[in-house]
Amino acid sequence: MSELSIKKNKSVARVISHNLVLIVIVLLIVVTAIVEPKFASASNLTNVLRQLWPLPFVALGMSFVIIGGFIDLSVVGIISLCSVVAVSLIDPLGQVGAILCAILVGGLLGYINGTILTTCGAMIQAEVLFITYGMSSIYMALGLIFTNAETLRIARATKPITIFTALGSGTVGVIPIVLIVFIVILLAMYFFHTKTLAGRSISLMGGNKDAAFLAGYNVKRTMRMVYAISGLMSGMAAISLVARTTTATATCGTGFETEAILCVVVGGTSLKGGKGNVIRTMLGVVLITLLGNCMNMLGLSTYMQTVMRGAVLVVAIWLDNRKGQ
Amino acid sequence: MAASDNILVVKDVCKYFPGVKALDHVSLEVPRGVVYGIVGENGAGKSTLMKILSGVYEKDAGAVVFDGKTIEKTSPIDALRRGLSIIYQEFNLVNTMTVGENIFLGRFKESGGMRGTHQKARALLDSIGSKIDTYAMVGDLSASEMQMVEIAKALSFDSKLIIMDEPSSSLTSEELRKLGVIINQLRDRGIAIIYISHKLDEIFEYCNIVTIMRDGHVIDTKPVEELTRAEMIAKMIGREIENEYPPRTHCVGDVLLEVRNLNTRKLHDISFKLHKGEILGLVGLVGAGRTEIIRALYGADKVSGHEVRINGEVVRIRSPKQAKRAGLGLVPEDRKRQGLITSFTVQSNITMAALDRLTRFGVVNSASEKDIAQRQIKALAVKTPSAQATVGNLSGGNQQKCIVGRWMELNPKILILDEPTRGIDVGAKYEIYVLMNRIVEEGGAVIMISSELPEVLNMSNRVLTICEGRITGEFNPEQASTSEIMDKAIG
Repeated sequence: MSELSIKKNKSVARVISHNLVLIVIVLLIVVTAIVEPKFASASNLTNVLRQLWPLPFVALGMSFVIIGGFIDLSVVGIISLCSVVAVSLIDPLGQVGAILCAILVGGLLGYINGTILTTCGAMIQAEVLFITYGMSSIYMALGLIFTNAETLRIARATKPITIFTALGSGTVGVIPIVLIVFIVILLAMYFFHTKTLAGRSISLMGGNKDAAFLAGYNVKRTMRMVYAISGLMSGMAAISLVARTTTATATCGTGFETEAILCVVVGGTSLKGGKGNVIRTMLGVVLITLLGNCMNMLGLSTYMQTVMRGAVLVVAIWLDNRKGQ
Repeated sequence: MAASDNILVVKDVCKYFPGVKALDHVSLEVPRGVVYGIVGENGAGKSTLMKILSGVYEKDAGAVVFDGKTIEKTSPIDALRRGLSIIYQEFNLVNTMTVGENIFLGRFKESGGMRGTHQKARALLDSIGSKIDTYAMVGDLSASEMQMVEIAKALSFDSKLIIMDEPSSSLTSEELRKLGVIINQLRDRGIAIIYISHKLDEIFEYCNIVTIMRDGHVIDTKPVEELTRAEMIAKMIGREIENEYPPRTHCVGDVLLEVRNLNTRKLHDISFKLHKGEILGLVGLVGAGRTEIIRALYGADKVSGHEVRINGEVVRIRSPKQAKRAGLGLVPEDRKRQGLITSFTVQSNITMAALDRLTRFGVVNSASEKDIAQRQIKALAVKTPSAQATVGNLSGGNQQKCIVGRWMELNPKILILDEPTRGIDVGAKYEIYVLMNRIVEEGGAVIMISSELPEVLNMSNRVLTICEGRITGEFNPEQASTSEIMDKAIG
């Protein structure tokens, strides 16, 4: 009898710990909606969906790097440089060419990061951290040199910018077009990660590089691939950012690396690598975004919001480590 | 009072983990000044008991009396202060600090600053006859020297009881002999030692009393003289086994693999042949270059200039991926660091080498992945709740079977096993031996590295001795004597 109730308690505890993020999201919505009824209004929610970008793309790319056991701080530089590339290529190449180029540049820069990391044999987290940080500065500086630190505006382009406008403010019914595009990419990446050999090799590498190597995986290639994916996603992030803000500056990616890492970790992907998936990361994105919005609605100062973000990150890592025991 | 003769009394201690009774009413009494052996298969509860004594875990029931005082709650540092030290298999030292600093870690002030620290460290090391420089970096020491540092550290706490967990696992036989001398010295000083080991020879050599554990129970406690090796094994595994080794196979055929002129900074002119149906043993001291040879052959380390032929054809192996394609498989030395992904499922660990064969247009067929896992779990009798269980929770033997199964699925022509039975129990060892025989009977070949000489001699068809990066001898283990072989291996 008592043993049965213990078992029941345990399974309840397990359900809670497995769906913690979801539960916190629901709690957050309910509590804020009660305290501040404006929160649940259609205009607020539409606003949230519009202000969301480019974070989901960055977090999606970052998930692969973290599952692979590494980290990527260079997304700041890549987003910034790709934004600049996207806006400045609208006139010479047209909008389609500009978008494709920006995304490809993102992938290429990511691939360069990966190649630098593998050739200089950076295999521990601290080295990876600082090399990607260094690469980020380089990309950002290139953008600054190119733009003279001026703001580029898509409105100044002489060619059509309809795609940007659609991504920035277009909707199908109430759903933003950019969200639909993102969900398609998300599902494709989820399939890639869980079903394909290349995707699986990322998890294996994150779980144990040496074991994956000795079992016949090309770990260096997987590492380059992971950074290329992060770069590609940063390129897409740049497009969604330019579309939303209609401008590009050589530093516009600042801050998204920590936000993205925060989303990945809060979503339940371990910083130790190996475990996690992209759907979980999206829960993290939803939670972090909602948290920001709720705190705005409740009138918390920006400083206090920063404190809360930091606290959430620490709690997420702490919970992850407890799970490990 | 009889109790005061015992340094440690454990009475009816229980410990539960989710779903497992790790310790079930375990009782033992360790008298002062004896070497007390504890043997048992992996999962028998030895480590759990030690972790309770040292304060890493809390017991769920029962009593622990140490040095006449009942211990309720304890922590590792409390245990040390009371005089109970544990020397773990993986040492607990800071590699980037000196020997002296490690011995008095966190107690520089009490030990009289840096000078006092080194003086006292010197005295402690001298007292166990060790000549290690107290100013040497611990990271530069050999495993045996690190062990001496650990022992000196234990002595620095005035330990009355020192627990040694698998102390011999990384020692050569010469170093082991030295350890034996020191253990005897410590015993003569009145210090009790709990000696945990898989190696029964050592238990018989060093211990006075031995407790045999199985499945969280104490099966028997007896003076060592009253037990035979066979009895001890039978009690450990709960059944009689007739032989420790299966009968040797005799199915050696034509040359399958030929390695020529393998040279690196550590290896010199390594050339050898491996035949179909042959188990080839590589014997040598730790660090002699055994592992380097097979890692070079397998493409895991960057080596060039050598030639590898399989079935007479030159093959280029520069990465494990190419090695796998050429029909090689490797069960590496360090199961947890190089073999397994401990946080992943049994299924992922078994199928990871075969995934590329289950792939169409880049997509892995998950149904055949499940089939493979089930097939190997069945074929190798892996004891696991399910294919989806986390591999890190299995016992050492079952973990090793998962890695062997990973390669069995690919039907490798040549399976390389580096220390395949390290840290696994007697029953699982036998099963690994049987698997090796099965590979050679099916026309494959096996290269085996082991620090346990009896194992190599009983399993191999041919033995190569390696010393300081050179092949120094070739023997037929059925004819050569152990001393002849060791002579060449030591050089």
